[in-house]
Amino acid sequence: MRGTLAARAAIAAVAALLPAAIAGAEVRAPAPLPPYAQAYEPTTVDERGLWMEVDEVERKLRDSRFVIKDQKLVDYVQGVLCRTVGDDRCRAVRIYVVRDTAFNASMAPNGMMVVHSGLLLRVKDEAELGSVLGHEFGHFELRHSLNGFKQRRTASDVMTWLAILAPNTGGALATGIAGSAFAFSRGQEQDADMLGLSYLAASPYPSASAANVWERLMAEQDATAAGRKRKAQHRYSAGFFASHPTELTRATYLREAAARAPDPGDAAQAAYRATMAAFLPDFLDDQIKLNDFGGTEYLLNQLAGDQWTPQLLYARGELYRQRGNPRDLVSAAQFYQEAIAKGYAGAEAQRGLGLSLMRSQQVEQGRAALQEYLKLKPDAADASLISTLVAN
Amino acid sequence: MKNWGAAVFLPAAAFALLVSAPAAAQEKTGNKAGFSIAPGTARIVLMRPSVKVGEQSTGGMFEPNADWTAQARENLGKAIAATQGRLGNIVVDYEEPNGADTAAVAEYRNLFSTVANSVITYQFFPGNRLPTKKRDDAFEWTLGPDIAALPGMAGNDYALFITTEDHYGSAGRKAAQIFAAFAGVSVPTGVHKGYAGLVDLKTGELVWLNADLKMGGDVRTAEGAQKRVEQLFEGFPGRTGIPQTVTAGN
Repeated sequence: MRGTLAARAAIAAVAALLPAAIAGAEVRAPAPLPPYAQAYEPTTVDERGLWMEVDEVERKLRDSRFVIKDQKLVDYVQGVLCRTVGDDRCRAVRIYVVRDTAFNASMAPNGMMVVHSGLLLRVKDEAELGSVLGHEFGHFELRHSLNGFKQRRTASDVMTWLAILAPNTGGALATGIAGSAFAFSRGQEQDADMLGLSYLAASPYPSASAANVWERLMAEQDATAAGRKRKAQHRYSAGFFASHPTELTRATYLREAAARAPDPGDAAQAAYRATMAAFLPDFLDDQIKLNDFGGTEYLLNQLAGDQWTPQLLYARGELYRQRGNPRDLVSAAQFYQEAIAKGYAGAEAQRGLGLSLMRSQQVEQGRAALQEYLKLKPDAADASLISTLVAN
Repeated sequence: MKNWGAAVFLPAAAFALLVSAPAAAQEKTGNKAGFSIAPGTARIVLMRPSVKVGEQSTGGMFEPNADWTAQARENLGKAIAATQGRLGNIVVDYEEPNGADTAAVAEYRNLFSTVANSVITYQFFPGNRLPTKKRDDAFEWTLGPDIAALPGMAGNDYALFITTEDHYGSAGRKAAQIFAAFAGVSVPTGVHKGYAGLVDLKTGELVWLNADLKMGGDVRTAEGAQKRVEQLFEGFPGRTGIPQTVTAGN
C-alpha cells in the first residue's frame, strides 16, 4: 500500500510538470523583444555552475583545430547576427565557425555561439542565416539552457522517487514525465523560433526567409532518402522523444506568422555568395565525403540555380566520380570538361577527368589529362601514384 | 518497455539504480620500471588542472558549482606545491601561450587524456591487458619527444597533468539512498574520481600514472584538498636513495 500513497504524491508532482507537455501545438504570435541587459552576470548557483562549465568548453573550443580561424569569415557572420538582433545585443557574442558538415548552430548561456560550416553551405542569403542565428540568440536571451537544466533535474528527481517508492506503478508515470521533459524542450524551440522571427521582423531582412530554411531542409532529406532508396517522411506532430518540433511544423508556423505581418526587405544574397565563394571549395569537399549522393546532388542544384559555375561543376564531377557507376564516370568526365572549359583553374579537375576517363576505357585521353595534371602540379601529394598510372 | 523512456531520457538516473561499481579488481598506479627522478631539484610544469566540483541531484544529474570549483582549484594548487616542495621539487604553473601555439598545447592535453585512458583501460585492469602490456614490469607509454618543443617547456624536467571530478551527493540524493536501501535497492551517492600523470620532458614518456575512481578528501577545504593530493600522488616516483613510495594514502 505504501506504493499507492507514494504514487499519489508522485502524481501531484507530475501534474506540476504536465502543462508544458500539453502546450506547444498551437501557433503563437511572434514574441515581443525582451529588454536587453549588457554584460549580464550569472546570479544563482545553478546559473553560475552552468556558465563555469561552458566557459571550460569555450576554452577548449577556442584552441580546437576544427574552428576556422579566418577573421574575415567570423566578422561577416557576426555582422549578419548584428543586423538581425541589433548592434547592442550582438556585440558580446563570440562566434566560432566550426568545420563540420552538420546543418547546425548553437549558443551557450555564456554568449559563445557555434556555427557549423554545414549551415553556411545550406543557407542561401544573409536573411536565412540571420533567421537561424536569431533563433539561437533567442535561446540565449530566454536563458533556455538554465531552464531546461532545471526542468530535467526536477523530472529526474521525481522519476527517482517513483522508482524507489512505487516501483510497480511508476512505469507509465515515469514515461509521462520523460515525455513532458521532451515536450518542454520542443516548447523552448518554438519560443526561440518565435523570438528569432521577431528579430528578423525588426531587422533589414525579410521575415519570410525563416521558413525557407526548413522547407529546403525537408527537400534535401527527401533527396537523401531517395538516393538511398528509402522513403522520406515528414510528419506534422513530433515524436515522443523529439527534442525539436518537426521541420514541417516549424516551416508551417514560421510561414504563417511571417505572412501575418509581411515585411519586405533585402535578403542580401549577392553579398552572401561573394563572401562564401572563398570557402565553398572546402565546404563542398566535406559534403561530398559524406557519401550522400541524393542530398549532395540536391544541394549542388540549389547552389547552382540555373548557373553552373566552374567550381560547382567540378564538385559535381567529384560527386559522380565518387559514386562510380560506369554511367556516373561518363557524366563525371563531362562535368570536369565543362568546368575546365568554363575556366576552372585548379589542376585537380584534370586529375578527376583523367581518372574518370581511364576507368571509362578511354585510356589515351585519360592519360593525357593525368599528364596535364602532373605538368600543372608536379609536387602534388599523389604525383608518384599518378605517374605510375600514366606510365602503364 | 517499462522504464525505457527513463533510461533514454536520463541514463544517470536510471542506471544509477541498477549498476553497482565494478571497479574492485582495478590497479591504480603504474610506474615505468627502474625510473627515478634524477638527483637535484626537479622542475615540474603543472598543466592547468581540470577541476570539476558540484552536487549530485536526487536523480543523479551533475549540478556544477562555480564557487566550489574555484575553491577546489585554489586548495589543490596550494596542496600540490606543498607536497612536491617536501620532495624537493619545484612546481611551476604552465604559462599558456597565445596565438598559433594554443592548438598544439590543446592537442597534447587531449593526447595525454587519451593515453591515460588507454593505460586505465588496457593496463590497470589485469583481465583486459593488451598482450604487449602483460609483462609485470611493462609500463611503456609515451606522448612522443616533441612535447618538449611546446612553448614554455624549456628549462623544465617534467610535465604534470591532474584531473579531478567531484559530485557531492545532495540532501535529496542521500535521502533517496536511505529510502532505496529499505526497498533493497542500492543508490550510490557521490562521484569522486581523479587522476594524475607525470611526463618526462626529455623523452616524452609517461613515467607515472595514478588513477582512482573512489578518492577521499573534500577538495572544498584546505585539509581535504591536502588529503586528496596525497592520494593523487600515490606511487609518485621518488629519487634514488629516497623511499620509492611517497605517501601511502593518509
